[in-house]
Amino acid sequence: MAYPPPPGMGMMPMGGPHPMAAAGHHHQGVGSLGIPHKFQRKPKLTLRDMRDDYCEFELKNTDTSVANALRRTMIGEVPTIAIDLVDVEVNTSVLNDEFIAHRMGLIPLKSDFAVKMQTVYEAASGSNENNENYSAQSPTELTFKLHKRCESSQTAGIDVTSNDIEWDQAADGLDPNEVDVKPTTLAKLDESGNPEKGILIVKLRPGQEVKLTCIARKGIGKDHAKWSPVATAVFTFVPDIRIDQALMDTLTEDQRRAWIASCPTQVFELDPTTRRVIVKDPEAYTYDGECIKKAAEMGVPGLVEITPRSDDFVFRVETTGALPPATVVVWALETIEEKLKGTQEDIKKLIM
Amino acid sequence: MNAPDRFLKFVVPDGEARTSFIRDTKIERAGTYKVLCEDHTLGNLLRMQLHRNPEVLFAAYQVPHPLANHVLIRLQTTRKSSPTEALKQAIEEVRGEVDDLKNQFVNQVINMQQMAQGEAGAMGQGQMNYAGGY
Repeated sequence: MAYPPPPGMGMMPMGGPHPMAAAGHHHQGVGSLGIPHKFQRKPKLTLRDMRDDYCEFELKNTDTSVANALRRTMIGEVPTIAIDLVDVEVNTSVLNDEFIAHRMGLIPLKSDFAVKMQTVYEAASGSNENNENYSAQSPTELTFKLHKRCESSQTAGIDVTSNDIEWDQAADGLDPNEVDVKPTTLAKLDESGNPEKGILIVKLRPGQEVKLTCIARKGIGKDHAKWSPVATAVFTFVPDIRIDQALMDTLTEDQRRAWIASCPTQVFELDPTTRRVIVKDPEAYTYDGECIKKAAEMGVPGLVEITPRSDDFVFRVETTGALPPATVVVWALETIEEKLKGTQEDIKKLIM
Repeated sequence: MNAPDRFLKFVVPDGEARTSFIRDTKIERAGTYKVLCEDHTLGNLLRMQLHRNPEVLFAAYQVPHPLANHVLIRLQTTRKSSPTEALKQAIEEVRGEVDDLKNQFVNQVINMQQMAQGEAGAMGQGQMNYAGGY
């Protein structure tokens, strides 16, 4: 990685107050370079929903470039751990070795431990010398084993799933209390109360066997998508919807109802008292343009005008389970800060 | 088949400077910054921030080729500033903004966790767990 991961990583809100929580807005006013922040925006972030694998927040009073930088960084530059090398000892399953190796790589591993690991590139270049999170002992690799055999008595065949992957503590020599890397589960219980089945890797028939040794490494989504911590990380522009009420008043109530019904996502409704068309849920609008088309069909073009607001975004982040969504967002923001800091230091070093 | 190695996207080659400045030969107070191992994320972020500064007469960025692992940020300023000053200030401002966002996010996550814990306690069950829920 060009810049060592930020020192603050890992200090995520897991329990007590975050050290940053007390710091407040220390960046306002005069910057460290003594230049007043004349052109700094004051964004407003509103957290709406936070679950085990999903989070939603609104970002206001900022630029698309900031929203897009955050989105890109979450997808491509937040480090996680994934299986990178597979040593196949026995494979008599129906899938070939490469096929299984690829499937192993795509299994999300719980990656909070990534803070304490270094990538093979960092280890090779020694770029972490000044980073408090790393030492020469910071591991670059974790070993996992998978051994499953379908006995001839198991005539129905068996499933090999991500739950069969086991960390080989002896091979890595790390403290098992510290290393919490394993295939992710959301620990949901199914209807009969059993923990959810793992991710299916391959099915075995009687007499078939797979025996693998896997090396997991730290990496980022820019290198390979298997290291991306998010399944979806998207933002949408909140629309600015303006109804021409004067024009609307020329329509009969049946016409208004028909027009409201034309919107597939129920953005509009009829006010029960005033009988006027009002915007119920602007964020439900998917920019499909159906209500605009309908207005034109009804002979009232310009009934509604819809434009995306360019400073109001709604983010939806769904993780793979490798990292909690709050961690993904915070690490992404820290990665952006680290990028900027790196460039800033480089510029200071340049001789003009 | 002849695509460059993927790791070149984030590993600066030995002996190369991560950031360099190429002064414009014809125009005063103009030039191009070349930042290795960076892309649209940084380029667009800085370009848009530079546009907010009235002393910046021109600011644009490009990633010359999809396989190129660097970004070029070209800018020209008025007499009151210089490309270096303007870029330094832009970086400082975006850093401030991102830091602000991080604080807001972390504070709200903590608040939400505390509220969830309060509710869970009142209901006599401790199963609600945000952020660290695995």
